[in-house]
Amino acid sequence: MFEVPWSDYSDPLWQGLLHTVEYTVLGFCGAAVLGLVLALMRLSHLRMVRFPSALYTEVFKNIPLLAIIFITYFGLTSVGLKMGALEAGALSLVVFYAAYLSEIFRSALAGVHDGQRESAHALGMSRLGTLTHVIFPQALRLALPGTNTFLVDLLKSTSLLVTISAAELMTQAQLITSDTFRALEVYVVIAAVYFALCYPLSQALLWLERKVRAGAALTPGRRRRLRKARVMLASETTS
Amino acid sequence: MKLTKAGSGPEKPADAVPADPVPATAADPAGRPSTEPPEGPAVVRISGLSKSFDGRLVLDDIDLEIRAGEIVSLLGSSGGGKSTLLRCVNLLERPDRATIELAGEPVFSGDRAVYRDLAELRQRVGMVFQRFHLFPHLTAIENVVLAQMKAAKVSEDQALETAVQLLRRVGVDHRALAFPEQMSGGEQQRVAIARALALRPAVLLFDEPTSALDPESTREVLRVIRGLAEYGMTMAIVTHEVPFAREISDRIAFLDGGRIIEQGTPEEVLDDPQEARTQAFLASYEGSGR
Ligand SMILES: Nc1ncnc2c1ncn2[C@@H]1O[C@H](COP(=O)(O)OP(=O)(O)OP(=O)(O)O)[C@@H](O)[C@H]1O
Ligand SMILES: [Mg+2]
Repeated sequence: MFEVPWSDYSDPLWQGLLHTVEYTVLGFCGAAVLGLVLALMRLSHLRMVRFPSALYTEVFKNIPLLAIIFITYFGLTSVGLKMGALEAGALSLVVFYAAYLSEIFRSALAGVHDGQRESAHALGMSRLGTLTHVIFPQALRLALPGTNTFLVDLLKSTSLLVTISAAELMTQAQLITSDTFRALEVYVVIAAVYFALCYPLSQALLWLERKVRAGAALTPGRRRRLRKARVMLASETTS
Repeated sequence: MKLTKAGSGPEKPADAVPADPVPATAADPAGRPSTEPPEGPAVVRISGLSKSFDGRLVLDDIDLEIRAGEIVSLLGSSGGGKSTLLRCVNLLERPDRATIELAGEPVFSGDRAVYRDLAELRQRVGMVFQRFHLFPHLTAIENVVLAQMKAAKVSEDQALETAVQLLRRVGVDHRALAFPEQMSGGEQQRVAIARALALRPAVLLFDEPTSALDPESTREVLRVIRGLAEYGMTMAIVTHEVPFAREISDRIAFLDGGRIIEQGTPEEVLDDPQEARTQAFLASYEGSGR
C-alpha cells in the first residue's frame, strides 16, 4: 500500500505541520482574548455595551466557518482589502471561535457565586484584584472543559484553510496527491498526523483540567507560598 | 463584653483564646467590671439611616452606635432588615440617606459616600457571612493570606505568619492546607473568621454566623466568638441564638420592619420586652434561655 516516497516529502509535510500549529496558536489566542472581551461586555450593566457583544456572538455562531474564510480572503479583496492567506486564515478562525468562546467564558463568569465578589470586596480588595484573584481562577475551572473542546475543534478546522491554499497540512496533502496520484494513502497518512496532534493535545488538556479542578498550584508564586506555609506550619506545631 | 470565664464552657477555651494581652487598638480597658457597658469611643456611629429596594423602605431612620469593645446583637424576624443594616456599615449596600462614621471618620453623609479610601475602610470592618463565602480555589491558609497581600499590601512572609497564628487561634491550623470543600461547615466558618481578623479590623460584623451549621459546628463557632469577646473585640452579631445573644451581648437591638423598635441590655430586652413585636418574637423561641 505504501508507495508514496515519503522521505521526499518530509520537507513540505514539516512545513505543513508548522503552519497548522501556527494557525492553531494564532487563532486560539486571538479568539480567547476577543472572547473574553466579549464575555465581559456581555456582563456589563450597560445595555449599550451588552448589545454589540450579543449581536456579534449570534451572527458568528450562525454562519459557517468556510463562509467566513471566503469572505475574508476572496470577498474583502474585491473591495480592496488585500490579505495574505495567513492573515485571512488566522482572522477567520479568530472571529469565528471568539463567538463560541465568549459564550463559554460568559457562563463561567456568571457561574461564580455572587458571594465571592462580595466577600472579596468586604475584605477591601479592589475590583481588579477581585477579578484577577477571585473571579477568574474560579471561572477558569468552569470554562476549561468547553474551552478545551473548542481548541481541539479549532485545530481540526484549520484543515478548511486548504480552500485558500494556506500551506498547512491539508494543503500539503493536496499537493502531494497531485504529485503522486495516491489519494487514499496520502489522506490516510495526513489523517494520522492530525490524530497524532489532537489526541495528545486533548489528553494534556484533560490532565490540566483535573489539576485545576483539584486546586493544584500551577504558578511559581503560589507554589512558593504553599511551600513556605508548609514549613511554617511544621515548625510552629513543634515549637 | 460582659462575659465571665464560666460562660466560656468547660471545653478547652484555650483553643480560641489568645494568651497575649489585648492590644491597645481593641480599646478594652483591662479589668473593667464585666457588668458595666463599655464607655469607649464609638467605633461605628450610624444615624438616620434609610434604605429602600425598588421603592420599598427596608431600613427606616436607623440610629445605632457600637462602642469600642462592645458587643451588640441584632435580633428580629426574617426580612426585618438585619443583613441590610450590616451591609450598609461597610457600604456593600448603599444607603439612601445616612450619616455613618467609622472610628470618628465620616464615611457616609446625607446621600453621598464621603470616605477617602473604600478599600481601607472595608479592611477596618470585618464581615463574616452566613454561608462563609471562602474562596474555594484556595486552601484555608491562602484564604487568610489573600486579602492581606492584595488589599493590605502586607508582605508574603508576614501574611503567612499572621495566617498561621490566626488559624491556630480559631483551632483549624491542622486544616490549613485543606480546601474549603474538604472542611466541615464549622471549620469553614472559623477560617472565614480568621480571614476577617487577618486585616486587624476595628469591628467585626457577623451575619447569622451559625445559621448554616449543625449543632456541633455551631458550638465550635460560638466558642471562637466567645474567645474574641474575651479578647475585647468590638462586634455586631445578627443571630437567632437567643441564649448566646443573652450570654455574650452588652446590648441587644431588636429590629422589626426596618426600625430598631427596642434596645437595651440583654436583661431588659429579653426578660422584660416592652414592645408587642419583641414579646411575640421571643415567645416563638420557647425554652431558649428565658
Ligand atoms: N438586593 C436586594 N434587592 C431587593 N430587595 C432586597 C435586597 N436585599 C434585601 N432585600 C429585601 O429587604 C428586606 C430586608 O432584608 P434583609 O436581608 O436585610 O433582612 P434580614 O433581617 O436579614 O432577614 P433574614 O433574617 O431572613 O436574613 C427583605 O424584605 C428583603 O427581601
Ligand atoms: Mg439576613
